[in-house]
Amino acid sequence: MKIRKIAAPMSVAALMGMLAAAPAWAQSAAQTAVDAAKKYAGTEITIVWEAGLQSLDPLNFSGPKWEELTGIKVKVIEVTTSEMFTKILQEHRAGSGAYDALNVIPSWMPDLVRAGALEPLDSFVDKYGFRDELQNIAPTYRDNQMTVDGKIYGFPDDGDLFILYYRKDLFEDAANQAEFKAKHGYDLAAPETWEQYADIGQFLTDKYAPKMYGAGQFRQPAYGIWMFEERYRVEGGKFFDPKTMRAQINNEIGVKAYEGMRNDNKFMPPGVETWGFVEALSSFLAGEIAMTISWPPFGRWAAGYGLDDAALSWVPKSTIAGKVGYALPPGGTPQLAAGFSLSISSSSKNKEAAYLFIQWLNSEEISLQRVQLPYALRDPFRESHFTDSEYLSRWPDAGAYLKTLRAGADTGLLDLSILQIDKYEEALRQSMSRLWAGEDAKAILDDVAAQWDSLTDKIGVDRQRMAYADWSAKPNAYPK
Amino acid sequence: MSGPLSASEAGMGFRIGLFADRRFKYLVIAPAVFILLFIGLFPLIYSLVVSFQNINMMEEDTSFSGLMQYRLLFQDLRLWQSLGHTLLITAIALPIELLIGLLMALLFLEHMPGRPVFVSLLVLPTMIAPIVAGATWRLLFDNRYGPINQVLGWFAGEPMTVLWVIKANLVYPAILLAEIWQWTPFMFLILLAALSNVDKNLTEAAEIDGASDWRIFWRIVMPAIWPVMAIALLIRGLDLFRLFDVVWALTKGGPGTMTETISIYTYIQGFRQFETSYTAAIAFLVIVMLSVAVIFALRRMEITR
Repeated sequence: MKIRKIAAPMSVAALMGMLAAAPAWAQSAAQTAVDAAKKYAGTEITIVWEAGLQSLDPLNFSGPKWEELTGIKVKVIEVTTSEMFTKILQEHRAGSGAYDALNVIPSWMPDLVRAGALEPLDSFVDKYGFRDELQNIAPTYRDNQMTVDGKIYGFPDDGDLFILYYRKDLFEDAANQAEFKAKHGYDLAAPETWEQYADIGQFLTDKYAPKMYGAGQFRQPAYGIWMFEERYRVEGGKFFDPKTMRAQINNEIGVKAYEGMRNDNKFMPPGVETWGFVEALSSFLAGEIAMTISWPPFGRWAAGYGLDDAALSWVPKSTIAGKVGYALPPGGTPQLAAGFSLSISSSSKNKEAAYLFIQWLNSEEISLQRVQLPYALRDPFRESHFTDSEYLSRWPDAGAYLKTLRAGADTGLLDLSILQIDKYEEALRQSMSRLWAGEDAKAILDDVAAQWDSLTDKIGVDRQRMAYADWSAKPNAYPK
Repeated sequence: MSGPLSASEAGMGFRIGLFADRRFKYLVIAPAVFILLFIGLFPLIYSLVVSFQNINMMEEDTSFSGLMQYRLLFQDLRLWQSLGHTLLITAIALPIELLIGLLMALLFLEHMPGRPVFVSLLVLPTMIAPIVAGATWRLLFDNRYGPINQVLGWFAGEPMTVLWVIKANLVYPAILLAEIWQWTPFMFLILLAALSNVDKNLTEAAEIDGASDWRIFWRIVMPAIWPVMAIALLIRGLDLFRLFDVVWALTKGGPGTMTETISIYTYIQGFRQFETSYTAAIAFLVIVMLSVAVIFALRRMEITR
């Protein structure tokens, strides 16, 4: 009796305590961040963001919303992609504290971490209970773009990858199908190999040029090197010998990839060697090319999504809405090609406030809104993004689009990321411009391999071997 | 009560006054001189110190490395190639700018209706920032939408897709065209001023004596304008040596490194490759080379005078 008299109130008290705590358990990472950030009301944080369309997200949406919720002002520092790494490193060396939060391309993270420029985030993640939501990021991004040496340095925030977009109306045309099958012996469908890509591209060019060409894609070296990295690995190439760390890209596979890319230009519009993002986009939307390979925004804009927004007034109106099919590029393993992770500068004087902002940005609730902004370039990267009913309803083929992105998120290939990667990429960029100028592919790649070996020797073979081993051990470094 | 000063006392006073007067002048200009030295000399000395270290923005090491960076300079084939590219552009652009500028100056020497307007319009290119000029030429050379290919297409009777900034045999003509377009007016302006100051009595006397136009030009006009022309050549030569903007806007030093100038290579080493010490060594190499060239040029001009 006595025990019952004591136990009962204690049980009730415990139950009431649990009920009181329940809202805290159920609180989202976004709300947690907002609540915790309110103590910094009246302050200002800075965030480095890619200049142009990308920065419209914090300028027009997330920045003002964060200020409204927390009282913290967000100052966006717009920097072109080509200058971001330099500026982040220079600011770190200067120790000025000018940058609080950062957008970094994941392949830069090892270099930035070793230079001491990024703040490890594990303590913040645990303090504000963000680990669970981080697990819901698609595995390719989560497992490859978040940590360096086992510590969290950034939150993957952009599901970049290359997708093949093709004119499904032309592919489904009965006459085209019959003619193509008669000529090549297999069905006209989204190409699964680079040989098929060339067959289809040439077939459509022969039939429709000069009104329309079989394919066109960006060839400017800054983008083209990712095309090469993907194609080279799809064909079975490895970047380095893991034991000697000697570059392998000048082997038969590399030469085949380079020659293949140059030969493909023959069925592409004249001058394709000068094409960047805008040229490829405008040609595709104008119906001047039947296939292209590019990042996810191409697919949204080709469907006409968001083109009414004033920020996208520069994008040509799509003449092909409803006629676009989506597929993984030949080989089925698309290059992830850049992407962005949200990080904190190690010299920031507002680390906690900056961390709370990036947790909020990257949370399930807010990131879902951000990837649907018509003008922003953030692409789906969380599992929930690919299956969200609102996103699925955005345009008739949104389901097929998201399904393709999800498939690519599974098989996507990481950008090469080793110590001082920009120097290796610079050698590749120069080699690509030589390729378009008409030089011999083998000679070009021999030079690149020699430059890479020289860089490796200068950086330290053992150090680079460890970095390469770490990268190549990741599941998405090479096709399975 | 003191009497009048003796001669020696007066002389001493004069010398003290002169000394104080001179010293006062130095004192007055000293702050400005120190500031200029600090702004100019300090970075120079600091860069020299850095060039003997092993500083790379990716690493923490700042150790002394002796002459290592300078040894690397002489082993760096790409550096000497970039120097070669720079000298090639200078060797072609400079004489063309001089020749066209001189012809324009001779054309506009005589008074004509609307001359001030024409001259103002002709010098407009020099007022444009070089990077803006380069970016504009990039648009002009665009293979799809650029007017240059359009005009060529009119003459050819079919669309022309000339890849001005991609093909190896076209990149140098494109760069030279943009560079000469922008800076020939500079030569024109300098030479117009020089020609305007040639003593007309000499030329008229030569005409009366029956000298041909060419002889008058070569024997009278050229010697008269040579000092100014030499300075203009020196200035433009130095400008061409540090050429960056137009090449960067058009080709970024490509294809490959085919049009990479010494300035572009230095920029890449410093701000893309983060080789801080090596960049300082390159900068000193360029300083030494240009100093030798300038001293040589100025001495030649002195000899000529």
